[in-house]
Amino acid sequence: MRSRSGLFFSILFPVLLLLVFGMIFSGVGGSSSSNIFIQNLDRTASDGKPSDLSTAYIEALNGTKLFNIKDVPPDSNASSYARDSLGPLGGNIRILIIPKDFQNQLVNGTLKIKVGISYSTLNTTFQFYTQNMTATERMLLEQGLAQMKKFYEDLPGGNASLTIMLDASDQSGSVIKNVLMSVASAFNYQMIGAENVVQFDEKPVTATRFSTVDFYVPGITAAFIMTNGIIALSATTTEFKRRGIIKRLSITPLTKMDWIVGNVLSQTLLNLMLTAIMIALGWLIFNVRIIPDALSLILIFLGSVMFSGIGMLLSGLIKDVEAASAVGNAIAFPMMFLSGAYFPMEFMPSYIQTIAKALPLTYFADGLRYAMIYKYPEGVYTNMAIVAALAVGFIIVGALVTRWKEK
Amino acid sequence: MAKAVVEVDSLVKQYGKLRAVDGISFEVYEGEVFAFLGPNGAGKTTTVEILECIKPLTSGTAKVFGYDIAENSQVKEIKRRIGALPQEFSALDKLTVKENIDLIGDMYEKHLDINEVINMLDLQEKTNERFENLSGGLKQRVGVAAALISDPQMVFLDEPTTGLDPKARREVWSVIENLKKLDKTVFLTTHYMEEAQVLADRIAIIDKGKIVVIGPPQELISQHGGLKALVIRKGDKRLADILQKSYDQITLNNNGDVLVKIDNVNELWQVIATLTEMKINNEIEIQTPTIDDVFLKVVGGRISEEGELKQ
Repeated sequence: MRSRSGLFFSILFPVLLLLVFGMIFSGVGGSSSSNIFIQNLDRTASDGKPSDLSTAYIEALNGTKLFNIKDVPPDSNASSYARDSLGPLGGNIRILIIPKDFQNQLVNGTLKIKVGISYSTLNTTFQFYTQNMTATERMLLEQGLAQMKKFYEDLPGGNASLTIMLDASDQSGSVIKNVLMSVASAFNYQMIGAENVVQFDEKPVTATRFSTVDFYVPGITAAFIMTNGIIALSATTTEFKRRGIIKRLSITPLTKMDWIVGNVLSQTLLNLMLTAIMIALGWLIFNVRIIPDALSLILIFLGSVMFSGIGMLLSGLIKDVEAASAVGNAIAFPMMFLSGAYFPMEFMPSYIQTIAKALPLTYFADGLRYAMIYKYPEGVYTNMAIVAALAVGFIIVGALVTRWKEK
Repeated sequence: MAKAVVEVDSLVKQYGKLRAVDGISFEVYEGEVFAFLGPNGAGKTTTVEILECIKPLTSGTAKVFGYDIAENSQVKEIKRRIGALPQEFSALDKLTVKENIDLIGDMYEKHLDINEVINMLDLQEKTNERFENLSGGLKQRVGVAAALISDPQMVFLDEPTTGLDPKARREVWSVIENLKKLDKTVFLTTHYMEEAQVLADRIAIIDKGKIVVIGPPQELISQHGGLKALVIRKGDKRLADILQKSYDQITLNNNGDVLVKIDNVNELWQVIATLTEMKINNEIEIQTPTIDDVFLKVVGGRISEEGELKQ
């Protein structure tokens, strides 16, 4: 802990990462909104003001609080205007163009739909009750329906077609498009006076309501328990060997087993401290509601054993400190990103999900999530069993490879 | 007769085709300072590490305090009784002097009071100083303190003064002399002739894995050191040539000194008389042979400051 670099990479770096992830996903400080340029071409001929319905649609978009709307003058080239406004490093360009005649198209289209619905309703009702009517009643209703049908057919109708312009590389593009279309759908229903019949009621999977940050805490903690074992322990042990400190210790009655157990226990203690700091900070800043239980503590111990074993294996095989650190990083960093510690596995291609099943961190991170978040014992036990088996295997191999006596 | 605490018989350590230790046999007696003297690569450290039970032997036998180093069940008994200062000693940089000594002490069932050991090595002022901030001499003293914390019966000191300045070297010498007063058995390895001669009760000269001679310094000197020499400071070749006519063993060293080997007092007066006749007024002194001369005689070379053999 007196080593500044050790302190940084073991404790401060994971804390920083948690703070960064937390600030991105927790909404602390207010959620961010996406820039969007809107060019409203639907203006009245007399004074050039935007039409009522185009204004209403823009207000509906504003009401979602997801957009930072910038107006594009109607006589400009929208793309050029947007690029000039943002500058070359200003981010992705998103443009919505409301066409000329939007309001008329919308009104005509809505009227035709409403008339159509009315005709369809009346026609269906007529068909249903026709045997109960007199011939005269039937004839009058048929004439009325025919006139209504003709009226419907003569109505101009219309489709108000909005244009969305997005950059193909815009990672948020599909989300923004979906929001624009959702607002348009809601607008449609509002215009024709329809209501949702099928509705959604959102409920959390867990008994307690957890936030996004709660889900990241076990993943980040697991990832850095891994790096403490694979990178820090292997580099430190190799450095000790190089400097003759291991040799000095081996002259004492200390045995190889004492050394290994000592390393595992010190790693466990470090990792428990890390977990406590991560949860405490998460609680203080992001209102994280994780309380580790006995299963998560056992899992942290098993994870410490497993990754200490890998660290010892590396230090036993690699003599050079820089090489040990490089190999440790080469193993740890891909594992960190491919194991689901930071990103949900569902988002990854199937071949990466297959690779993840071969990574020790996958089971450790999943086990911690099951223990800390989902409180699902069966999930914990399955992952714990795998971690325990890997821990035994790696510690045995690490111990065999660790030299206590010189050749 | 003192008891033998180390008994080595036909010890061999082989690395592939190289025999680092080539069938050596010797004993170390209780309470003595025993020195292995030899150049780098002679087999000193290899022998010490075998006796410390951190390196396996290839063949032969070695016992420390009667316990066989080749028997795993007896190794712990040896380790309980020995302390060691390895070559190029290093400790944990971020720990203080006290913490480093304490760390080693905690490896033993019992150990001396840390402050007592710190006082013994005159480290009081540096007790709370981090190891990384110490000078070379102080680091070595911490190493000796770590070797003594368990109150061992025997201490291995592997090249304890290598790389130290003369002042620091003298300080470590005084520590070693104090160990004798504490009745510790000391096994010292060194490539410094003077160090072996001043500190050791017995010296084993080792070269290329073999012990060449073994015995007390004075005995080695009288048996192998050759004659005393009369040194004529700042002489010249002309003087050396003149003296060569009358005396057999004349040498001119690099400093320009003329050395005349003399066998007895009569020969000494004869040489002085000769110099008086020649009206030579140069400064003269009598030089007794040293372990350096012994080494030169038995090995055929000298050891440089860096520990390399120069033949």
